[in-house]
Amino acid sequence: MKILVPVKQVAVLDEDFELRDDGLDADPDFIDHESNEWDDYSYETALQIMEAHSGVEVVPMTVGPEEAEESLRRCLAKGGERAVRVWDDALAGAGPATIAKLIAAVARREGADMVFAGTLSADHSFAMTGICVAAELAWPHVAVVTHLEYEPGAAKATVQRELEGGLVEKLTVDCPAVLTIQLGINQPRYASLRGVKQAKEKPVDELTPADLGVSGEDLAASACFRLRRMFKPAKGQAELIEGTAAEQAARLATIIKELKGAA
Amino acid sequence: MSPLDTTQSAQQITRILFQGFPGWLEVVFYIVGFSAIGVFLYGCYVQIRKYRRGRPLSIPALGRGAWDMVLAMLTHRTIRRRDTPAGNTHWLIFFGFGLLFLGTSTITLEYDILAPLAGVKFWYGDFYLWFSLVMDIAGVGLIIGLLYMMYRRKWLALPKLDYARPDRSPPDPDYDRSDYRREDWAFLWALVLIALTGFLLEAARLVWLRADPLVWDLRWWSPVGAVIAWLLDGAGVSAQGAGTLRMGLWWFHGLLALALIALIPFTKAKHIFTAMAALAVRDPRPAALLPKADLSAAGIGASAITDFTWKQLLHFDACTKCGRCHEACPANATGFPLSPRDLVLTLRELANDTLSAAALPPREALAAIGTGVNQVRPETLWSCRTCAACVEICPVGIEHVPVIVEMRRALIDMSSMEPTLQKVLQNIQTKGNALGENKRKRPAWTKKLDFQIKDAREEPVDVLWFVGDYASFDPRYQKVSQAFARILHAAGVDFGILYEDEMTAGNDVRRVGEEGLYQHLAEANIETLGGCTFKRIVTTDPHTYNTIRNEYPEFGGRYEIEHASAMIRRMLAEGQIRLKKKLEYRVTYHDPCHLGRLNKGYDPPRESIHMLGAELVEMKRARDNSFCCGAGGGRIWIPDPTDKQKPSENRMREAAQIDGLNVFVVNCPKCMNMFEDARKSTGNEERFQVMELIELVAECMDFDQQRAAAGQAAG
Repeated sequence: MKILVPVKQVAVLDEDFELRDDGLDADPDFIDHESNEWDDYSYETALQIMEAHSGVEVVPMTVGPEEAEESLRRCLAKGGERAVRVWDDALAGAGPATIAKLIAAVARREGADMVFAGTLSADHSFAMTGICVAAELAWPHVAVVTHLEYEPGAAKATVQRELEGGLVEKLTVDCPAVLTIQLGINQPRYASLRGVKQAKEKPVDELTPADLGVSGEDLAASACFRLRRMFKPAKGQAELIEGTAAEQAARLATIIKELKGAA
Repeated sequence: MSPLDTTQSAQQITRILFQGFPGWLEVVFYIVGFSAIGVFLYGCYVQIRKYRRGRPLSIPALGRGAWDMVLAMLTHRTIRRRDTPAGNTHWLIFFGFGLLFLGTSTITLEYDILAPLAGVKFWYGDFYLWFSLVMDIAGVGLIIGLLYMMYRRKWLALPKLDYARPDRSPPDPDYDRSDYRREDWAFLWALVLIALTGFLLEAARLVWLRADPLVWDLRWWSPVGAVIAWLLDGAGVSAQGAGTLRMGLWWFHGLLALALIALIPFTKAKHIFTAMAALAVRDPRPAALLPKADLSAAGIGASAITDFTWKQLLHFDACTKCGRCHEACPANATGFPLSPRDLVLTLRELANDTLSAAALPPREALAAIGTGVNQVRPETLWSCRTCAACVEICPVGIEHVPVIVEMRRALIDMSSMEPTLQKVLQNIQTKGNALGENKRKRPAWTKKLDFQIKDAREEPVDVLWFVGDYASFDPRYQKVSQAFARILHAAGVDFGILYEDEMTAGNDVRRVGEEGLYQHLAEANIETLGGCTFKRIVTTDPHTYNTIRNEYPEFGGRYEIEHASAMIRRMLAEGQIRLKKKLEYRVTYHDPCHLGRLNKGYDPPRESIHMLGAELVEMKRARDNSFCCGAGGGRIWIPDPTDKQKPSENRMREAAQIDGLNVFVVNCPKCMNMFEDARKSTGNEERFQVMELIELVAECMDFDQQRAAAGQAAG
């Protein structure tokens, strides 16, 4: 019984940042990296199942460059014996559907029985990678899971989702399945730095898309959208118009004329 | 002056041992005596076997430790501290008991060893008479001491001698530890009875041998016995009756004394040995320099009783339950579930229960952290502020702080901690500071200065200022950092900072038990410092000061480091800081634990305050007895519950008792953070201010006026 947990190293922007010259991303000088918060919860969910039952293996994986290995080490510091990292420089800027194709390929290669992903990533917030993985594998999926009852090897899992207004939806899903896990489902454990250091001894399989049998064309075909531009929207300015009613009306008229002119 | 003239009769001036005993009865006594010694030795073996089940540890400078122990024993200075009557009366018991024991040993030496083996005798004549007198004095001292101990237990009813536990409630089986109370009384009564029956025995023998002038005429050499003999005589006790009484008392006294000796290793009496050993192996800086953990080992910290070192197991046995730590602990004083004494006693009981048998129980039975009987609860461990008030006052040298930190290391490894603390540690891992601020914002406080602080990474400086987290990011303390920069600038000091490359020094990271992160921070900071040229380090933060001074050397970082208060004192004394005015304030000074108790920096801040002209009124708990603000040991990262008094509030109320107090002077960024809040929450906002020593100095240098003047000139 194996649970695959795809995780992501996300970008954290400085308060003051600049954009890259090509206008497609923030300047890397203003970016720090850290593990995606949602993935702490999905990984904890998998670890708790592993610890409560024998014969369960949890494998964290990421699609990302060498620096992203840090996130895998943090996972391995908490538990698990090995990890998988998939990368090729051509994957820079790849969208969620492309990433999902690779995650699905790893799931097949590993013979995973379940995939627990984070609901979304803190930087791009697509909230679709996990769901695309389910589509690739042709497995059922449940998104934004806030509670899980699952016995390893069982044909069905019972999950809960929190809806608007505090309403809870309880449903069963056929396994194998992809679940995307929401914050607060558990209390993720702390990865001590000693644990992170010791996790450096644990193996991380490094694979390319080609190793997984995914060709450049497959990847290109999977891109479901194209990034056109990243920008900081100009901030609108509110103005409090003071004075007598006549003065206020005059000022308002001026503004309307200005805006008409600008348009 | 010799009481007798002839050496022949001098030989007869002695006490004939076993006088009037049939031979078989003497044999019975020897059987009992050797059995008692056998039980005693077996008990010692069991105890030593117990300690050896702890982790190995080598003690450096054992000779020096042993010498310190001898001095502490002879002077009783550690027992006198903060409880002089108890110290003095314990001194009477110690010397009384010690002399009586030596006396008995002297007799054994002659009667059982030297006389039968070599025919040497010395216990007669003048020696015997002086011996008798000294023994009587010792016995009186012992009884006085014991009676006082009974008096303070029964009538003074000192709160520190109440064993009811703050970390347990009445249904818990180990809540009030009434067995300890019974043992205390049994021990006192046993000793008192041994001493009293000794005197009665002495008197009965005198009356019994009234006819022998070599006994009766010299009876005043044992004055207490002689007085009691006079009373017995007056009561009409015959020589024969006294002989019978003497035989009965002889056995009662002897058996009780032998029973006590046999029981020493199994009862509180063992402190005679364990306290001495504990003092001899004590560490000079137990809270300032924590033990380095091997990060590559399979486990870390202490989660089982066998994870403690033999020395720690010995320390658990050395506790005499005197309650001084219980009284000094800021967590205990404010209702947190921690008493250092109970922590030690819990672990002692666990060690006794699990490590005394021939074979070790399974690992689960050894678990030291948990909610069961004789287990330390996690909330107890998290209550500690590592202020070392307990370590400071312990008369037998128990080192509580490393014990707590070792157990916290195990908790961190199990990820058993408050979510807020977890978040802070994660922040430190990713951002290098506890406040979760972006690294690049670390030097933001310098932007308010009208001069540029040198970048120590770029150019050599005399003084490298290690700013620290709270001094960099806490808005209130940023003002202090700016003031300190102005002082250094005005004094013409060549100084610089590490700007974005400084990371938190790690003192409190180590003290919450995240040893791996601590070692990473220490190594990273040492590497950064290694790339800079400077003569010495200064910091306003006592926590940073402590770890760089005491703990960085183990990681290869050896620096000359000064706390800002010491540097200010020096610059004031040498006239490098020029004061424009003197202060009229009435102030009190709060010793930060990490500067005071941990590094003995009590005087420079006080001397500085005097040089500024302020009137310093001390609080009752000052210097080595300073009361922690509550922020130490990483507790600044764990919010205190709102239903309890905070240690900082307790301290504010103490300060508020000073009439006409203007300023509560702090000397630490974390103290500042705690007390600014506590001043408000205790309703003292209108009454006095909380200020840093640095701010008082800046006030006397009149920077504001200078700036205003400069502004006018520019205008």
